[in-house]
Amino acid sequence: MNGGVNQINGLSEPPFDRLRTNGLIQSFLNINRVAIRLPPRPQASTSAFLVRLLARQRERIEERALGEGWGEGGHMTEAITAVAHDQHEHPPVGVMRWLSTTNHKDLGILYMSFGGIMFFIGGAFIMAVRAELLFPGLQLLSPGMYNQLFTLHALIMVFGAIMPFATGLNNYLIPLMIGSPDMALPRVNNWGFWILPFAAVLLLIPFFLQFTGIGSGASGAGWVMHNTSLDLQSGIGIDFAIFTIHLLGLSSVSGAINVVVTVLNMRAPGMTLMKMPLFVWAWLITAFMLILAMPVFSAAATMLLTDRHFGTHFFDAANGGDPILLQHLIWFFGHPEVYIVLLPAWGLIPHILATFSRKPVYGYKAQVYAFWAICFLSFIVWSHHMLTSGLPLAAEVYFMYSTMAISIPTSVLVFCWLGAIWRGAMTFETPMLFALGFVAHFGMGALTGLILPAVAVNAQYHNSYVIVSHFHYTFFGGGIFGMMAAAYYWLPKFTGHMFDEKLGRLHFWLTTIFFNMTFIPQWFDGLGGMPRHVADYALRFSASNFISSVGAFLLGLTQLLLVYIVFKCMRGGPKATGQVWEGARGLEFTLPSPPPYHTFETPPEVK
Amino acid sequence: MMNGDDLMNEHEKRERRTVQLVLALMLFVAVIYAMTFLKLPVWLPALK
Repeated sequence: MNGGVNQINGLSEPPFDRLRTNGLIQSFLNINRVAIRLPPRPQASTSAFLVRLLARQRERIEERALGEGWGEGGHMTEAITAVAHDQHEHPPVGVMRWLSTTNHKDLGILYMSFGGIMFFIGGAFIMAVRAELLFPGLQLLSPGMYNQLFTLHALIMVFGAIMPFATGLNNYLIPLMIGSPDMALPRVNNWGFWILPFAAVLLLIPFFLQFTGIGSGASGAGWVMHNTSLDLQSGIGIDFAIFTIHLLGLSSVSGAINVVVTVLNMRAPGMTLMKMPLFVWAWLITAFMLILAMPVFSAAATMLLTDRHFGTHFFDAANGGDPILLQHLIWFFGHPEVYIVLLPAWGLIPHILATFSRKPVYGYKAQVYAFWAICFLSFIVWSHHMLTSGLPLAAEVYFMYSTMAISIPTSVLVFCWLGAIWRGAMTFETPMLFALGFVAHFGMGALTGLILPAVAVNAQYHNSYVIVSHFHYTFFGGGIFGMMAAAYYWLPKFTGHMFDEKLGRLHFWLTTIFFNMTFIPQWFDGLGGMPRHVADYALRFSASNFISSVGAFLLGLTQLLLVYIVFKCMRGGPKATGQVWEGARGLEFTLPSPPPYHTFETPPEVK
Repeated sequence: MMNGDDLMNEHEKRERRTVQLVLALMLFVAVIYAMTFLKLPVWLPALK
């Protein structure tokens, strides 16, 4: 209820989104006023500050109501309620709605749209890379340009596409899933989103400036800038990447704090931690991981900046610095980042598998504990990315075994997913197809990940296309298949219309075929010794690279089908019910599709 | 059923918890950021 009658004392209330405290912290955080509802006429026990504050707010609202000619005196209550009701039902319109919105659903849509746009920009960069690799020899790109393109592809896909899309899902869904009216810090939420477009522009500016003769292009040092010599010696592209990383860190950490506070503080009565949907658990743990990992990455970027411009020597070997230190710091972030990308997908897949198997989520507690175990382990395995950098033998052995230990909780998850569909009344709608595709492809990525930390094996395959194939099976086969499953699962909830199921299934099968066509050959290229990060290759890899490139082009084209399906669904189609799917469970499915602009202002009681 | 005072207290408590949690998390982020400059991986004997 936004305004109206207080159910406790029967007095009329001002609209809560008009309440503003004068306290600096509260003003900055804009703590959700709906959840932290203040009575309109303070009782004797309330503090003098609150008495003054509420009286002032009430006067302001009354002045506005009078100014707009809604009567006075006995009509005031109706006038105030009318303001509130109007705001309640009708969101602001036009561009300002999207620029200034603090509504979690609006911001969720903004995040997901941004992720979708960046997915295509990042994809376009890698199309150029695959065009270069279509035939042996250098055709289209210089080696430097090749480095920039794959670096931008990786940075954009991880930080610009998958993470914002997952953040959009959490923004839209977490309040609905825990029965909260919004995120705890709505203004911070808006701020966190609007940093992202600027970060993206900052990352891309040096790439486009080079065509006008300004600068030497974007960063080409890899997605976590792990090439120390390039980091120290390259042009302005690295500086832009450093600033981008700081902005992304600010956005991610503020978003993560928002998630933690929302989940811990704004659950509906009866929604205990162990009753929360797994997606909420996954995001809570992801948020903790971001809070621990992101500052390290940002600090490493700051140190790199001071090395480049302010005379420090953290990483500069020529002046007593340690180049390996940079690798330690960025992989301390980089490996948890893999799970930061994957955990949201792991959290939503059990819901989808359960829905289309007509069974409850299987192994709920086991999955929660597995999430926590993976969270812990992900912070103690970072140097398996550095097994060829000359670590002491004891460290190599430690990082080998600790990395392999991650397969234990990961296996728990995989067996729970399989348990969810075991003897279920399965149907194969598009979200279920993508969820099953996720299980299969992520399984392949995880199994190859179990082999790679073996020190002797790693010495052979480090920096080869085996790694490229492995992490695309986890990031694309896991992360992006998971996000697509979620997109199709909740699209009717977001739009109020069912999507074209036939086109959805076509999208799944084409994506699966072309994804494997792209990355299976790369696995064998890597086994044969083809190095990654190189724009050319030996003649014996010609056929497999040709197949891989054609697969990549078709995979990219197939994704245009997704755009068409989403727009078609937004424009119309069969009306979606509140529950959307026959076997769907959860608070979000108790609401109509699409949900009203404001939801759960009166918290639901969870049994 | 809670009366107005109880509701007020509950809201105040929730608001206070929110502020405390946000400040604690921000402090934690600042500490981790600052600690990175200690270059711990360089000093850990196992990683040398």
